[in-house]
Amino acid sequence: MSKKLDAFKKMTLLRIAEEEIANLYLREKIMSFVHFYVGQEAVAVGVSDALTKEDHALGNHRSHGHYLAKGGDLRRMVCELLGKEEGSSHGKGGSMHMIDRSVGFTGSTPILGSIVPLAAGSAFAQKYQVSKNVTVAYIGDGASEEGGVYETMNLAALLKLPLLIVIENNLYSVNSKILDRRSKDYSVEKIVRGIGLEYEKADGNNYEDVTTKAAQLISGVREGKPAVLECVAFRHMAHNAPIFDDAQGYREEDVLEKRLAEDCLKKVRDQLFSEGESEETLSRITEDTRTKVLGEIEYAIAAPYPKKETLYTDLYV
Amino acid sequence: MSEEPRLLTYTEALKEATEQALTADPSVFVIGLGVSYKNGADGTTAGLKTLYPNRVLDVPVSEDAFTGMAVGAAIHGLRPVVHHGRVEFALFAADQIFTQAAKWNYMFGGNNPVPVVFRINVGRQWGNGPQHTQALYGLFGSVLGLKVVIPSSPYMAKGLLASAIKDNNPVVVLEPRWLFQTKQAVPEESYELPLNKAHIVREGKEITVVAYGDGLHAAREALEHIDGIDVELIDLVSINPIDEETIQKSILKTGRLLTIDTTNASFSVGSEIAARALRMEGVTFKSTPKMLACPNVPCPTSTALTEEYYPTKIDIANTLRVEFNKPTLDTKLSFEELHLAPLTTIQ
Repeated sequence: MSKKLDAFKKMTLLRIAEEEIANLYLREKIMSFVHFYVGQEAVAVGVSDALTKEDHALGNHRSHGHYLAKGGDLRRMVCELLGKEEGSSHGKGGSMHMIDRSVGFTGSTPILGSIVPLAAGSAFAQKYQVSKNVTVAYIGDGASEEGGVYETMNLAALLKLPLLIVIENNLYSVNSKILDRRSKDYSVEKIVRGIGLEYEKADGNNYEDVTTKAAQLISGVREGKPAVLECVAFRHMAHNAPIFDDAQGYREEDVLEKRLAEDCLKKVRDQLFSEGESEETLSRITEDTRTKVLGEIEYAIAAPYPKKETLYTDLYV
Repeated sequence: MSEEPRLLTYTEALKEATEQALTADPSVFVIGLGVSYKNGADGTTAGLKTLYPNRVLDVPVSEDAFTGMAVGAAIHGLRPVVHHGRVEFALFAADQIFTQAAKWNYMFGGNNPVPVVFRINVGRQWGNGPQHTQALYGLFGSVLGLKVVIPSSPYMAKGLLASAIKDNNPVVVLEPRWLFQTKQAVPEESYELPLNKAHIVREGKEITVVAYGDGLHAAREALEHIDGIDVELIDLVSINPIDEETIQKSILKTGRLLTIDTTNASFSVGSEIAARALRMEGVTFKSTPKMLACPNVPCPTSTALTEEYYPTKIDIANTLRVEFNKPTLDTKLSFEELHLAPLTTIQ
């Protein structure tokens, strides 16, 4: 399978998983606070395609996509969202705490920016243990405004840590616009370069652009040159609800028509089609993926809840 | 002729535990502001940078980042010892200590150890005022997922830090700066003390005194001024967990309780002990539980005001004397006793 077709397959999994989970949220009472990744799939898949399985990735509140793109187990994720025993955190974490250490996805936390120092710790351990592996931290544009993120950039540059910080700039922190949060002269690039890290900006709605620039930066990161990759990508759904929220009226640039025109999945599909991939192949991938996702949802619905006494377990190792 | 016991100060004891951990386990490293100095971290890391240049790291003045990096390193297999010279600065890293390290294993459903040690200096020191003397014991004790110990002497400091570094959970070691120059016989070989057990310093039948840290030190000295009242003195050692079993056994015997805090009375450890004691099975009190603590104002700077602030050995002795209908003492403590950290050799 070509790399692009493989990327299409992965992005389709991320998209359909979120769509079907959103449907499930609308149908049933799922009590796990959720932030959907729809629209930003090119970032997680593009970055993950530039990593090895041994590399680490850590994420944030919107990490279903980061988890799946790194190879995280779909069944355990869906079970976790439904609060089931078989979930990746046995129901104690939920949507905002994705983890699958077997594929190097070593955790996600929803306190904005907090994952960046933690990811630096992963990179520190990789360097300390003299491996050639790297760590990726996924954060949003909102989290990138937290002080600890800038502190960590300095620490990473000082200690030459193999750390890549991916800022997914989806234009909003919840619904707050960038220009309501930053002076007009604010420049992520100048700040990052000023601290001493490498910087690239990618079109987060474009898989090719993301994965090419991620690969370029990661080759330096592997040699101890920490970097920031800023990806501007559209968040198609509401901040934290299984709905499309255009009626809220806060969106300016990323209105529905533009989101559909710039949709990363559609772009890859169109490219594959123009490069000679058959409609049938692409549709089959989509259908097979939906069947698989629906199967896992059905499995998770039937799966048992954790036993009541586990409320008290695992506070300490 | 018996050999002279080997006396170490509190800070030397902490350094020895750290050095022995660095030697024993290559995954241990030390990180914090100034830990690489010749007399780093009040002497608690003195000389370690020379021995282990790549494992003793000075850092930018960025507590959130370096504390979080240490937590992340612990999550990914290392054993960091993080040093914060003042608790007020550690609070910059509150998210990483309270919300990340403390919750990590639970929120991922277990099997996710975070073997990090936070060494945090707390409490009184002359002239340090409202923003350099907080202890915040209650705050740390209230965060589930942390283990929290308060060494009361050099012997306790070495053994508790050794255990903290070996533990697979985040452990906060709150180190009262007031005790740094106290001395005690400390074994040279490595040893560990339990992180979850109170220690009975003196057995007695008439009243249970629960203290910790520098309050325990003052309580121990108060024993010389109580004319034979049969005190059971308990060094609490850990405020998370609190060793209820040891306290319960003691109060079942004595029926009386005095708690000593060297921080504000509100939300203090003493309040927690008294509240738990009142609910303990079979416990009936012969008199209302008593508490000594600092007043509910920040610690001021002027010695004219701070001499009223911390409970002294005479305050403790007099509280006990009143309890047992003995005349109170009006001993005046010297300026040095009131305001300068003790140089006492603890037996």
